[in-house]
Amino acid sequence: MKRISIDPITRLEGHGKIDIFLADDGSVANCYFQVPELRGFEKFVEGMPIEEVPRVVSRICGV
Amino acid sequence: MAKLKLASYWASACGGCDVAILDIHEKILDLAAAADIVFWPIATDFKYSDVQAMPDGHIDVTLFHGAVRNSENAHLAHLLRAKTKVLVAFGSCAHIGGIPGLANLFTREEIFRRVYHETPSTVNPEGVEPQTKLAVPEGEITIPEFYNTVKTLGQVVDVDYFMPGCPPTPKQIWSVVQTIVSGQLPPKGSVIGASEKTQCDECPRPRKEKKITGFKRIATAQPDPETCFLEQGFLCMGPVTRGGCDARCQLSGVPCRGCYGPPAGVLDQGAKAISAIASVIEAKEEVEVQRIIDQIPDPLRSFNRFGIPASLITRKVL
Repeated sequence: MKRISIDPITRLEGHGKIDIFLADDGSVANCYFQVPELRGFEKFVEGMPIEEVPRVVSRICGV
Repeated sequence: MAKLKLASYWASACGGCDVAILDIHEKILDLAAAADIVFWPIATDFKYSDVQAMPDGHIDVTLFHGAVRNSENAHLAHLLRAKTKVLVAFGSCAHIGGIPGLANLFTREEIFRRVYHETPSTVNPEGVEPQTKLAVPEGEITIPEFYNTVKTLGQVVDVDYFMPGCPPTPKQIWSVVQTIVSGQLPPKGSVIGASEKTQCDECPRPRKEKKITGFKRIATAQPDPETCFLEQGFLCMGPVTRGGCDARCQLSGVPCRGCYGPPAGVLDQGAKAISAIASVIEAKEEVEVQRIIDQIPDPLRSFNRFGIPASLITRKVL
């Protein structure tokens, strides 16, 4: 099955890629969008003084 | 003179460094006159395969932002190192690990458990976690391996220059661009786009003698806008942070959190902070010292906000 990979997806904030699988007649059989990144803000802000959180989570996306 | 070939890439980052480059505003036209962009995911549509196809050393300068969090980040670090003559670790994450480096206080398993199982917004009854390879009916799809430890760019590949800041200020970015275009680069390994002094030396708040008898939080106490934060008992990383940002946090009414990393000659910013704070605590009895330091909010993450991966210990080990 033919595959078209778009890696990376550009002109946006963050990391993403798309794999498109084509059937023999050229039609799209399936398509997968994946986000190949994780930093773990959900964990490392736990227990942080509340006044410090805005200056940390603003680094989730700086765009 | 031939135009420079310039690349800008984000690994484990937020994109703020790329936006800081755009914040040079109309000077971006001067940059475009001096350099061709050959790879810049936030702004142009070149793919990894385009970089792979370049001959080694094809790119004159790569501004590499972001820490090395996963195997894709590491792959791009090695790929861009091979394709680039001058590799710049640009911004706090590439320089010293940055905010993503706070994850080094936890293990991969602890992070996965929180993110994919425990957060209140997660619905995951089958307990699915990311797999680096997944067989699907049409073939196999992959994502990078999430490492246990975040690394700086310089811990993964040979880096030519380090540019601090979260993000670097547009003024400093422009001065570094001019330096690069002029070809008058300092010795390899230098910190560029920053000062040799500390934040304290740039801070406009007048300094007197520091005698700290207690620590305060900006959430529960109002700082005086004209007095040194540390003298008032608000923890400030200014004494142990490299200058170069024109004290932008102090001028915004909040203490420095250390994003420009250690000043020249300092190996471990967090250890230096402990030493500096200890020297200005005003107490004679041990019990009094303990009472004062117990008031420091979240000391581990406050003393090491941006630089855990670059610290001597690099991560939680026990």
